[in-house]
Amino acid sequence: MSDDPVARFRGLPERIDSDPETVQRDLMRLVLTIIELVRQLMERQALRRLDEGSLTEDQIEALGTGLMHLADAMRELRERYGLSQEDLNLDLGPLGSLLGE
Amino acid sequence: MTSTSLTGSSGPPASGSPQIALVDLLDRLLGAGVVLSGDIVIALAGVDLVEVRLRALIRTVRDDDDDEVTA
Amino acid sequence: MAERGRYLYAVCRDLDVESLGDLRGLGDRPIESVESHGLVGLVSSVDLDEYGEAGLRRNLEDIDWLESTARGHDAVVQAAAAVVATAPMRLVTIFNDDAGVRRRLAERFDRIHALLDRVEGHEEWSVKVLTRAPDPVAESTVAAGSGAEYLRRRKQDQESRESEMRDAHLVAERVHDALAAFAVASRRLAPQDPRLTGHTGTMVHNAAYLVPRDLSDRFSAAVGEVVAEYREVQLDARGPWPPYSFAMLEEE
Repeated sequence: MSDDPVARFRGLPERIDSDPETVQRDLMRLVLTIIELVRQLMERQALRRLDEGSLTEDQIEALGTGLMHLADAMRELRERYGLSQEDLNLDLGPLGSLLGE
Repeated sequence: MTSTSLTGSSGPPASGSPQIALVDLLDRLLGAGVVLSGDIVIALAGVDLVEVRLRALIRTVRDDDDDEVTA
Repeated sequence: MAERGRYLYAVCRDLDVESLGDLRGLGDRPIESVESHGLVGLVSSVDLDEYGEAGLRRNLEDIDWLESTARGHDAVVQAAAAVVATAPMRLVTIFNDDAGVRRRLAERFDRIHALLDRVEGHEEWSVKVLTRAPDPVAESTVAAGSGAEYLRRRKQDQESRESEMRDAHLVAERVHDALAAFAVASRRLAPQDPRLTGHTGTMVHNAAYLVPRDLSDRFSAAVGEVVAEYREVQLDARGPWPPYSFAMLEEE
């Protein structure tokens, strides 16, 4: 195997070959990746609504609090399973990379 | 033909590796950008059980948006 | 089984195959040539269980096989391009026999000559521009604070990311204009995933430039100038390479 980043990178595995001992941890990475995707989409949508000026002060507070708690919860879950933010990134091919720009 | 690299970047050091980076070579030789797939097969105890097509899942979410979601 | 085919690496003009010396092809296979009216196709014999449709479907998913094949292919292209005008083929262009190769050379005769005319005496340079910001942006850590504050802080993060991206794109255009002045052609390529390239930052520009050999020093000097002038971005310029982005013979 070469040193080249392409050859070294495995990212999301093409197969998750689990056994009863490791299945929980293996699936958590997949599950957290999807939750992170949804969380980011929710956050973008909230910011879009903020821009539009269509939210009341109460709604802004409620949305912000909810998203903040969600971000904290995600961080905790990641730490518990030893996953970095990068580990949860997904490349969607023509749709581009999900996290970051 | 030696390859030199002129870089003001913090990328991988190119001096001492004059060959073309594999990603650049594959982009050109395959005629498509090299991308990483999001499809996963989940097996348990050696038995394939589930195939997850993450691209399809995400398209569904985006189709529900009124506005364009920029990736 | 063990049906055989011919793997075509590239088509050259006025090539004396002897000048390639003891160059070997994929998996140390010998290089042979198939000629047609002054055009020379460089080929190796391959087994179709590895390079036929079924074999390729399997092997193209195998990054180690892909790497080894791309490097072997590139070694032949580079050796040829160092001596004569060369039109590389896409990876894994296979023919049943030499007659098939000869047929292709005859059918695409005009197109091949046009490509070779274009790149003769020229080289390809790759230039990428990336932001300096780490990617992806880490969440602002929130100890305490209201929901509204969180949302506004996320908004600020988003805005500064967007503003950085806009600036980086503008710089990329200026870099492009400065370098294209020394090129006869340029081609934009898709930005690459940093996980594959080892870069930090986001790639906002990925282009190939076709530079006349006698302008390559001036091109390099221009690269040095833009690196010095636009310190807010990362610039990664490499070359000279064979003109992959300008002379590849496509399937019709």
